[in-house]
Amino acid sequence: MQDGNKAAGEKNRVAERRGFLRTLGLAGGAAAAAAAPAVAQAQAPRLRKETDAEKVAARYRETDHVKAFYRTNRY
Amino acid sequence: MARMKFLCDSDRCIECNACVTACKNENEVPWGINRRRVITLNDGKPGERSISMACMHCTDAPCAAVCPVSCFYTTADAIVLHDKDLCIGCGYCFYACPFGAPQFPKVGNFGGRGKMDKCTYCAAGPEQDNSAAEYAQYGANRIAEGKLPLCAEMCSTKALLAGDGDIIASIYKERVQTRGYGAGAWGWRTAYRETVDA
Repeated sequence: MQDGNKAAGEKNRVAERRGFLRTLGLAGGAAAAAAAPAVAQAQAPRLRKETDAEKVAARYRETDHVKAFYRTNRY
Repeated sequence: MARMKFLCDSDRCIECNACVTACKNENEVPWGINRRRVITLNDGKPGERSISMACMHCTDAPCAAVCPVSCFYTTADAIVLHDKDLCIGCGYCFYACPFGAPQFPKVGNFGGRGKMDKCTYCAAGPEQDNSAAEYAQYGANRIAEGKLPLCAEMCSTKALLAGDGDIIASIYKERVQTRGYGAGAWGWRTAYRETVDA
């Protein structure tokens, strides 16, 4: 009889421990799921890099700003 | 097609270092790195000259020739840029550059150099134009905004010229014709394999 009680007590302890681990696992999973959109959001502003053609494209334009620079440098 | 160049008129440079400050401020260049600096030759002696020096965006860039990971590229308007995501910080470009332009942030232990940093002609790098990511890695992209490098635009004595090589060479020639021959356009023969003769 005593052996029976002892075995039942052991079983409860194991179940409690596993329950704790299960709760921990669930909480961890929930935290990861909650964090995933945050990570995605943090990465979202990083736009794609330029393609090889875009990288070497000419960007210089002789705007009014640039023309004013050339004009004032002639003084 | 316009070919971007720098020209430092050393007869006008007064060593005020405004170009250095403007560059650091515009591009938020970190401590320990100067993309542009002023060098004085024969300091305190007759014939003293000051030259504002940065990456000259060479025609046949030696830094690109020696880079083991091919992180350099030249744009259609002849601006030499590099991709920091590819750079391994080996330092070969520093040894190859005749102007000492490549700079390294010296991050980490055991002599690690970190990613190379240099003048981008205010044209930033391979990230999307004028994006936050581009600014964080390379600094301002004034060329995409229709402007010129701030170092040249800030120069109070108009010693530092930037822009279309043909136009700035003609401006320099006009000056030389008016005042007589001076010290020459320092670095042009090295960088662009040509001289500016009036």
